[in-house]
Amino acid sequence: MGEDGESPKINHSFLRDYVTEADVISTVEFNQTGDLLATGDKGGRVVIFQRETESKDESEELGESGEYNVYSTFQSHEPDFDYLKSLEIEEKINKIRWLPQQNAAHFLLSTNDKTIKLWKVSERDKRPEGYNLKDEEGRIKDISTVTSLRVPVLKPTDLMVEVRPRRIFANGHTYHVNSISVNSDGETYLSADDLRINMWHLDITDRSFNIVDIKPANMEDLTEVITAAEFHPQHCHLFVYSSSKGTLRLCDMRESALCDKHSKIFEEPEDPGNRSFFSEIISSVSDVKFSHSGRYLLTRDYLTVKVWDLNMEKGPVETYQVHEYLRSKLCSLYENDCIFDKFECVWNSTDSVIMTGAYNSFFRMFDRETGRGVTLEAWRESSKPRAVLRTRRIYNGGRRRRGDVGVDSLDFTKKILHMAWHPAENIIAIAATNNLYIFQDRVNAENLKT
Amino acid sequence: MEYKVEAHRIMSISLGKIYNSRVQRGGIKLHKNLLVSLVLRSARQVYLSDYYSGACLNAQSEREGNEWDITDSEREKFPPSATECDRVESTEEPQPNEQPEKEREYRENDDEVKSDQVDCTSTLQEQNQNSSLDSVAKVSSETPPESITEPKESPSDSAVAERDSTPEANGESHQPPKPHVCSNRKRSAEESESGDSPQKRTKVASSNAKEDEEAEEMDTSNVSNLITIFGSSFSGLLSKESAKPEAEAEDSGQICCDQMLKNLNPWSTAIVAF
Repeated sequence: MGEDGESPKINHSFLRDYVTEADVISTVEFNQTGDLLATGDKGGRVVIFQRETESKDESEELGESGEYNVYSTFQSHEPDFDYLKSLEIEEKINKIRWLPQQNAAHFLLSTNDKTIKLWKVSERDKRPEGYNLKDEEGRIKDISTVTSLRVPVLKPTDLMVEVRPRRIFANGHTYHVNSISVNSDGETYLSADDLRINMWHLDITDRSFNIVDIKPANMEDLTEVITAAEFHPQHCHLFVYSSSKGTLRLCDMRESALCDKHSKIFEEPEDPGNRSFFSEIISSVSDVKFSHSGRYLLTRDYLTVKVWDLNMEKGPVETYQVHEYLRSKLCSLYENDCIFDKFECVWNSTDSVIMTGAYNSFFRMFDRETGRGVTLEAWRESSKPRAVLRTRRIYNGGRRRRGDVGVDSLDFTKKILHMAWHPAENIIAIAATNNLYIFQDRVNAENLKT
Repeated sequence: MEYKVEAHRIMSISLGKIYNSRVQRGGIKLHKNLLVSLVLRSARQVYLSDYYSGACLNAQSEREGNEWDITDSEREKFPPSATECDRVESTEEPQPNEQPEKEREYRENDDEVKSDQVDCTSTLQEQNQNSSLDSVAKVSSETPPESITEPKESPSDSAVAERDSTPEANGESHQPPKPHVCSNRKRSAEESESGDSPQKRTKVASSNAKEDEEAEEMDTSNVSNLITIFGSSFSGLLSKESAKPEAEAEDSGQICCDQMLKNLNPWSTAIVAF
């Protein structure tokens, strides 16, 4: 960069804050054991982190548990172009889901808007050495130089992680894929786009079953779209999908081949007092997750998270306000497109705590037993390694305490959309734009140890 | 009136979003455009109604598959399906039965493409055509605008008086099969629609052609239609956008209001943006 007399006056702070669009994390997912954590970004890359195994040393530091380090990075999807429709297909990874581990290798599904890919992640720590016809670099040897024969042997080598695409499930969707979910049967998975849900067999790429189709005969009659879908964690015949109208539909695949007709529909009547121009937008469900027990559903709409009991269709059993103070600001949030943000929600391992993201790098955790929520912040300036996360408060009128953040000073560009909770321990992974934060609950781990 | 300013502002913003979505990377996002069009419709309803019926509209628009009921008298026939709002309207604004008849005749008259009034009737015809008439229709704020538009409708009264209206259209007679009534009207609408539609459709089709390629891949033709409409003319907005069934119930009586509003400055600035 050239230097000139005016350069000291130029404010370079924008360079510091500039984030490459491609580095923005778009999905986070632990595998079933929690040893591996995969993240996908807008540039189509997948980064897998592995938890370091705890030191077996008895004199290890108190509360020392494994940290996550980069295990592998690969390019999952490339930007594509649909020539027939003159449509560019983004390479952004919308979702990653791990398959249950069956052998030494790990498998994960990653999807962009159109194509789902199955990747095999395997380790190689040995390699054969001593070929007769090839030398160490792999060049073919001149036969006349071979004087004796030997048997190649496997020698240990540096650990190498290989990632290979094993299946490519293409051309299954006309609309943008928003969810994938692996079935508990271990053989099938579903993929959902705005209007259809397909069921695939993991070994078959040229065919899929359409199990839900809500596309109207006349597209002008369109009133709702599918926003998320998930298989039940134990029952392989049940799945749920959420809609932009705020309804959840539980479908049983034993009832019919095409599950357009739901077995159960979960919806809450709208509160007429809260009606505004944007009522429809804020009632759209952005994420739905089954509890680990399979008994409850967790949904996220723009301002709340709700817990539903599968046995009760008429309304949620619990509702938690994530950022109710935004209700009066819906118009400005509509203008800057923030109202369309799709937040995810997660359960903890015991289904006693639920977590979801918000703005200003804040995320919220709700304890279902007490009904109370806390606000935490994922921001590197205030989080040093091993620092204790402190709770934050939003100030919106009323008494203001020191450290409270005013509603008007919230940074809406710092949004926490994607997160994951370890399946067994209190470890959470939070994606904040291009940064990944991993928080571990050391205090409780320490108590458990003693 | 400040809510009107707000509604208008939201409408301009929504139109801008729809326009921008077409140049965004990754293609048109169906979900977001659906939500934006819902907001656009709500804002438009509020903008085109006065305050009192505006409150009723909000309650009404929650209902699924709102169908457009033609007459007050027919509405009274089916009190269980009438909303609280409807009942309020029918008690507070007693309408002479003639007026509903006039409206019905308008709906069946769709040959006069050029007149402003007929824009509204052919729109109504199209609405009839496009909406699925399997539930009882509810008129929401039809009645207040009726009083406004009555003077405009009267000149053409004589022109359409001799038009053959279906017997069921007579409000006084209590015809049990209401869906049957609707379907008859729908058929007559379809027959007569063919005469009027070519002109209107060709006008939209030319601008549709180039933009449809981009939209067809996702079949979001309703979204692309909105764009072409705003680019072509205001009347186009009424014919195409109102194809969505939920909007039609509220739009019916207000179409004539729209003609007046066409000349207002704020509207033209919104359209000029495209």
